[in-house]
Amino acid sequence: MAAEGVAEVAARSLAVSAAAVALASTWSLPLAYRMARGGRLAGLAPAFESLTGVPTVLVGLALYLLLSRSGPLGFLGLLYTPAAIVVGEAVLVTPLYVAAAYRVLRSSWEEYGELALSLGANDSQAMATVLRQASPGVVAAAVMAFSRAIGELGVAFIVGGNIAGKTRTLTTSIALATSMGEYELALRLGSVLLALSLAGGVSVHALRRLWER
Amino acid sequence: MIEADRIWFSYDGRRWALKGASLRLRPGEVLAVIGPNGSGKTTLLKVSSGLYRPARGRVSIDGLDPWGAQGLEARRLVVYVHEKPIMLRGTVAYNIAYPLLLRGASSGEAEERAREAARLAGVDGILNRQARKLSAGQAQMVAVARALAAKPRYLLLDEPFAHLDPARRAYLARLIARLASEGVGVAVASHDTLLLESLASRVLVVEDGAAREARSLRDAYSGPA
Repeated sequence: MAAEGVAEVAARSLAVSAAAVALASTWSLPLAYRMARGGRLAGLAPAFESLTGVPTVLVGLALYLLLSRSGPLGFLGLLYTPAAIVVGEAVLVTPLYVAAAYRVLRSSWEEYGELALSLGANDSQAMATVLRQASPGVVAAAVMAFSRAIGELGVAFIVGGNIAGKTRTLTTSIALATSMGEYELALRLGSVLLALSLAGGVSVHALRRLWER
Repeated sequence: MIEADRIWFSYDGRRWALKGASLRLRPGEVLAVIGPNGSGKTTLLKVSSGLYRPARGRVSIDGLDPWGAQGLEARRLVVYVHEKPIMLRGTVAYNIAYPLLLRGASSGEAEERAREAARLAGVDGILNRQARKLSAGQAQMVAVARALAAKPRYLLLDEPFAHLDPARRAYLARLIARLASEGVGVAVASHDTLLLESLASRVLVVEDGAAREARSLRDAYSGPA
């Protein structure tokens, strides 16, 4: 830990988690929208709900097997890089992100999707209307996904490797500091993580209130 | 003309909400759609506007199939106004301009036409209010103004008088009569038989998912025409 400060580690954690949520958005939001419109895809909702608490070490292990040198994606050379953590956390947050966005978009679709179509919207205009009207809820879902990503340890440890100055995050630093008996440092890192998680929670609450208006 | 012919529709694939119901609406007429709660009036209007696709039966709007290649063109001839007025986030002006923006109008043109529609519906004094903070009655009239802004050839109104005070009910009734005289086909689903009596050219009775035409409201309550 001496090589880098708390701020540097916190900045990396923020960047990696934000990138993971951005990546997960590219598939989670279109999928949640398609599910919200009904049909067969809506049947996936219970599966995503049940996977929201999937153990992070399991995702880390699966990704390690895929990315390790002898694994099917080993040629990408991603193991023990920040990109591996981004991909792993994106996969990890997907069920939570899809389930939360689906709940918001389903009610938004029932109300605004039908309204848009009744007023002459084509499919893409209806989707834009639904997403715009549901935007506080969709952002709240993204913040929830971010909180899950920044607080996880399993993926960051297994596919990131906790390399100082490269893949060390807040959670892996806390684990390392604790194992080395540096409790003061661990507590300092812990308070930063707690503050970030609380900020996420407060944002979700504020956005929900906005959504319910 | 809107022609919904022998429509069968189910929401859940188990129970039929419509069982072979038909509806015809010509330009310039007011069709009263009556029947008990849960009889299928709303569903019939939504299918007729092209919002819901029936399991069986055929819908055509001025000869166009709302789910065919010219589906959007067909759907844009009709506006269905929900029983519970749904307001988008934003101002009343934005809500009324919304269908015009969907049709590619510039913001200036949309604003001008929205103002005109608001004046017709008597809501031009609240254009800058947040739409979701309106009373139910105001929201209902904004929904009507929004429908008018789209200049539909057919207007399907679902319980339009439900949230209105007597003065607004009379105002809306006069507006419906005026629209019909200008060639708009208007279908009104309502329990307000007094207002319907004065407005309707024809009556459609919907009961348990089936529909039958009646010569008048009096006939409607006394059996098949």
